[in-house]
Amino acid sequence: MSSHAVAIVIYALIACAGIVLELIGRRIEVPSLGEVLTRIMHTRSGRIGVMAGWMWLGLHYFAR
Amino acid sequence: MSSGADKPDKTRLHRSTGLGIDPVIVILALAGIVDGLAGNPVHAFLLVGVALLLGSGIDVHLRSASIGEKAGEQRPIMALTFAIVYAGVIGGFDRYSWPATFAVVVPGVVGLLVAFQRTQSPGPEPAPIGRVGAIAWAAVFVSLGLWELANLLLQPDLVTGSYAHPTLSTLLDPVLAVHSGRSALLLAWLGLGWYLARR
Repeated sequence: MSSHAVAIVIYALIACAGIVLELIGRRIEVPSLGEVLTRIMHTRSGRIGVMAGWMWLGLHYFAR
Repeated sequence: MSSGADKPDKTRLHRSTGLGIDPVIVILALAGIVDGLAGNPVHAFLLVGVALLLGSGIDVHLRSASIGEKAGEQRPIMALTFAIVYAGVIGGFDRYSWPATFAVVVPGVVGLLVAFQRTQSPGPEPAPIGRVGAIAWAAVFVSLGLWELANLLLQPDLVTGSYAHPTLSTLLDPVLAVHSGRSALLLAWLGLGWYLARR
């Protein structure tokens, strides 16, 4: 298996772990990602930090 | 803008680093410094600027941000239509061009202003995240971050992508090379911002 394929498989495994947590997490007392974000963004600094991360994402992929 | 340093903020994160500094400020400042060293002054300016504003305790109030948020909540179909047209038009510009930069900075700044001016999140106090939940989600995102970092460091240099060791940015390059791909991802980014702004 090439390095490229290994990299893709590991990204896919991490994504699958997130999807599994989202789908069956509540059975093992794991909140959904939406609930985690709501909790983080309930604080002022958490809300601003997450929104800054979102803006950075847009800048990173589209802006100079 | 008005100084809110003299007003206690009940929603401020109470946990802090050992130095008494909010960890969000530390994370934003460090991310900004690293991004600046990697040759992205605009990104560094954003991250360090937000960290400084957050650390200063200054509250940002802008009436238009509130109006825009309320208008979007009242007319979701209109907001969605506008977002689709916006993404369709802006996707026509090349990545890293000044029009694309301006088109991302404007909604980004509006989103940040909404976050700054909102003193209290809507709805009741959310339930605390349990230990298992925190560890599980942290494991996912830390794994993603470390794997991304490993691939970044295995590139020929920090700004040259590698096929053998692709970062997420490298993997998305072919998608972002075409108009339809840029528009789709821009729409997804706007949608994510909308979702986050309503948390």
